[in-house]
Amino acid sequence: MFDDGAPIYRQIADQIKAEIMNGSLQPGGKVMSTNQYAAFYQINPATAQKAFRELVDEGVLYKQRGVGMFVADDARDKLAADFRDRFFERVLAPLVREARQAGIPLTDIIDYLRASDGNAGGAVNQTEKGALQ
Amino acid sequence: MTAPANTRLPSRRYALGVGMAGEGVKYFRFWIAAAVLVSFLGPLAISRFNDIELSTWFYTANVAKWFTAFVGGGFVYALVPNMIAAGLTRRELSVSMGVFGAMWSLVLGACAVAGIAIERFYYDAMGWSQGIDADGAIAPIGSWGDTLAFAAVYPLLYLVYFAAGCVIGAASYRWESSGWLLLVPILPIVFSLDNALYDTEPFGPGWMGFLGRYMDEWGRGVVLAGIVLVALVLAAGAHRILIDIPLRSKKA
Amino acid sequence: MSFTVNLRDVTLKYGDADALADVDLTLEAGKIYGLLGRNGAGKTSLLSLIAAFRKPTSGAVLVGGEPVWENAPIVSRVALIREGGDFDDSDTVKATIETGQIRPDFDLDYALKLADKFELSLKKKVRELSRGKRSVLAAVCGLAARAELTMFDEVHLGMDAPTRDAFYKELLAEYMDRQHTVVLSTHLIDEVANYLEEVVIVDRGRILRHEDVETFQGMGATLTGPADAVDAVAAGLDVLAEQRLGATKSVTVSARPDAATRERAANAGIEIGPVGLQDLFIHLTEPGKNGA
Repeated sequence: MFDDGAPIYRQIADQIKAEIMNGSLQPGGKVMSTNQYAAFYQINPATAQKAFRELVDEGVLYKQRGVGMFVADDARDKLAADFRDRFFERVLAPLVREARQAGIPLTDIIDYLRASDGNAGGAVNQTEKGALQ
Repeated sequence: MTAPANTRLPSRRYALGVGMAGEGVKYFRFWIAAAVLVSFLGPLAISRFNDIELSTWFYTANVAKWFTAFVGGGFVYALVPNMIAAGLTRRELSVSMGVFGAMWSLVLGACAVAGIAIERFYYDAMGWSQGIDADGAIAPIGSWGDTLAFAAVYPLLYLVYFAAGCVIGAASYRWESSGWLLLVPILPIVFSLDNALYDTEPFGPGWMGFLGRYMDEWGRGVVLAGIVLVALVLAAGAHRILIDIPLRSKKA
Repeated sequence: MSFTVNLRDVTLKYGDADALADVDLTLEAGKIYGLLGRNGAGKTSLLSLIAAFRKPTSGAVLVGGEPVWENAPIVSRVALIREGGDFDDSDTVKATIETGQIRPDFDLDYALKLADKFELSLKKKVRELSRGKRSVLAAVCGLAARAELTMFDEVHLGMDAPTRDAFYKELLAEYMDRQHTVVLSTHLIDEVANYLEEVVIVDRGRILRHEDVETFQGMGATLTGPADAVDAVAAGLDVLAEQRLGATKSVTVSARPDAATRERAANAGIEIGPVGLQDLFIHLTEPGKNGA
């Protein structure tokens, strides 16, 4: 962790967001305290606090005085749009750029994505079937 | 150096001074015991071959003066970095050294008085003469009254030696390569006044010549006043050196 | 009640040489500061003034809002731990620890617990300790002082990596337990960067930079790519260092490029990477640079 050049507080905020999206942090659930985060990651508590403040400002977390921080009920909805935007910006934009530099036609990439989406769908269906049996 | 536990701020300087005195006595307890033992058993051994006409305790008490100077200087030298780094102010350190010096001189002075008195009793019982070697001739100290008067100045002498030690110790810390040179003016002054008091070699006879026959009348008073004055000047000097002393930087 | 620090127009001379010149610095209460600087830059002089180990030649040094010099209520709650500690070598470890009790807030139980944790033998004489153990003893005395302003000057020197790690952990735990002002002076910047809230860089007797650690971490950037393209993009930027490998060039710039520049760089096939705090520090304080 903490090596891709982004400020640490943003990396922590991103990680909390990811935990909300993948369901390990549930809406209404309590988040660890700044000191717990600081002790766990061995960082300055002010850094952890900065991450929390950002998440509160974005409406992802809310604070209950004297009790702690909780995940907002609509946190996932709020994050979903955000995740989509960031996915395009962080993943697809560089992909397009590199493909251009390498002279790969975008149609090739679209074909590739379609194919792997088909595979992934198949895989999901299979696990679902497995779970049903 | 063990400091008294979590002392309150305004009074910690005094507690520290008392603590240092206790620490000093504790640290040198075997030396002190050995000196006492030698002082009393030594004459007993020598008496088998020679007549005893010199006070051994006089020498012991004199050695204790140099020892006192060494303790004062050694403690200051070690405690300046130690205590200032531990959050003591220089003023507090100076005051606690003063308390230490006063207590040390009183305790050692009391030992010297007791030692000379006990020795007097002991020598009387053994039929020996309690004398000192003044200006080349051995003379008995005299009556019991003379003996006590003789002994009574020891606390003051310890104090002046302690103060001298402190000045030299503080100066040696402050001026790393040249501070010890203060020995040159201080040593002869203190030692010669000490000699003058007893008319002992090497400086006593000189003072005797200077103060001449008045020595028996008010000359001794002048010398004592001189010692008090020198002690005060030395204490003030030590305080002055300490009060804005910088801690040395660490050698890399 | 942790302490603030204010230096106003402070100069310290050793003989004729300026160790510090016209320094103005404010440290807020309750934060962890990193103090960086090359050897002889003035870090130790600065800390010595703040702890009243020395008197400035001119200027004012305030701690907790009051002049620190000869101020017993303040200095008894300020701890400056210098490398190797200021110990009487003939004392035992136990007596050395107990010396700390001259401070009103010293926590003897905590000190003994730490000594046990770091495997310091209480009966040993200080002069018998290895360099590493001496540093540990110094660190233990500093932590247990429970001061309102605690400064560690290169205390990590001589400690091995696991011990340093344990020390930082303990420092952070103590800080969270009891928020107070901390200054860590060190060369191992990347090792402590995550513990810091603000960073002060001293260079040639002056304060070169004083920023949030995030500002520092986001401050520089490296641009790597085709030499011509890199030169074109870097033309308007403050270049700290550059190196070349064949047709590829890499430059380190002092500020993170703005969005437009980033876009332009990306399109020209230039990779933009972060600069480690350590590298940034090295570039900023390079001899021959005139600093800020």
